[in-house]
Amino acid sequence: MSAERHRRHDRNEPGHDREFPQILGAHEDEEERFLRPYAVDAGVAGPDAAGPRGRRGAEQLEMLSLVVAARTPGRHEWLRPERETILMHAQRARTVVELAAEVRLPLGQVRAIAGEMLADGSLQHCGPTRPLGHSDILHAVLVGLRSL
Amino acid sequence: MASADSDTQPTEAIPHAVKIIVAGGFGAGKTTLVSSVSEIAPLSTEELMTEASYGVDDLGGIEDKTTTTVALDFGRITISDDIVLYLFGTPGQDRFWFMWEELAEGALGSVILADTRRLDTCFHAVDFFERRNLPFVVAVNRFEGATAYSEEEVREALDVSASVPVVMADARERMSSKEVLVELVSHVLRSRQAALSG
Repeated sequence: MSAERHRRHDRNEPGHDREFPQILGAHEDEEERFLRPYAVDAGVAGPDAAGPRGRRGAEQLEMLSLVVAARTPGRHEWLRPERETILMHAQRARTVVELAAEVRLPLGQVRAIAGEMLADGSLQHCGPTRPLGHSDILHAVLVGLRSL
Repeated sequence: MASADSDTQPTEAIPHAVKIIVAGGFGAGKTTLVSSVSEIAPLSTEELMTEASYGVDDLGGIEDKTTTTVALDFGRITISDDIVLYLFGTPGQDRFWFMWEELAEGALGSVILADTRRLDTCFHAVDFFERRNLPFVVAVNRFEGATAYSEEEVREALDVSASVPVVMADARERMSSKEVLVELVSHVLRSRQAALSG
């Protein structure tokens, strides 16, 4: 095994890439400067978590779930720029799928990150201000479309 | 922007987010329809799918699961302060079939865009929405050089029930796309009333 392959092998050890400081740490090895995708979502959004019924069942979000920032970005967000971006874009209520398009991350990752942010209180779910029945919605959509 | 300590209190009304699916075969004009009627340039996100595509793609000996990127395009129409309508185009290739389930979940209904040069490419969509009892209309997108078929011929070829509207459309034209959506929502309302009274 070459040295190159050997180094890669070491970095693939389980748990290694979840240690954020290690990845951002002061390694001289210039290869270490590149963040692997796992770092973006702190290892939450593995392939298994990408779907609507991913392994972190508690906070799975629908594409059209509405979320809103519960606070403005804080001092620590520079370590997690995706969260900062999500907080900035979610100052007004946003659907998860719009957030994904705006922050230019795959939907599955935004679902996972937003799920974590809901859990830690930096995002909140929000429901419609005025409850409407399905029929009312359909009638309103029809009127709205006709007037386009 | 509020100060760092204050809670963000949304002052504007938070709308209902509802969706309509625009389905059809690859190249049937789904994105064109969404673009022509959306109030914003269509947004795009992608979903990473880990699926064994064995038997769908010819992977010639690759046995591991593969990660596929599926582009998801959508448009938006603000109906009122209370309602925002999203239009989702389905991924065109059949192998992204598994994404349709989530798209269809909670949708008001679906537009199936048909290209009369390759009607067979929308058979899957018809089957899918029929099985889920999701109301749909068939919109025949007029392509230059395509033979003009009557509504009845298309209905027969697709074998859809007489209650399903089949309309002619030009997905490039905003007014035409709008009419297709109006037809769909009218159809959904009629179906509901029939179900309630029946």
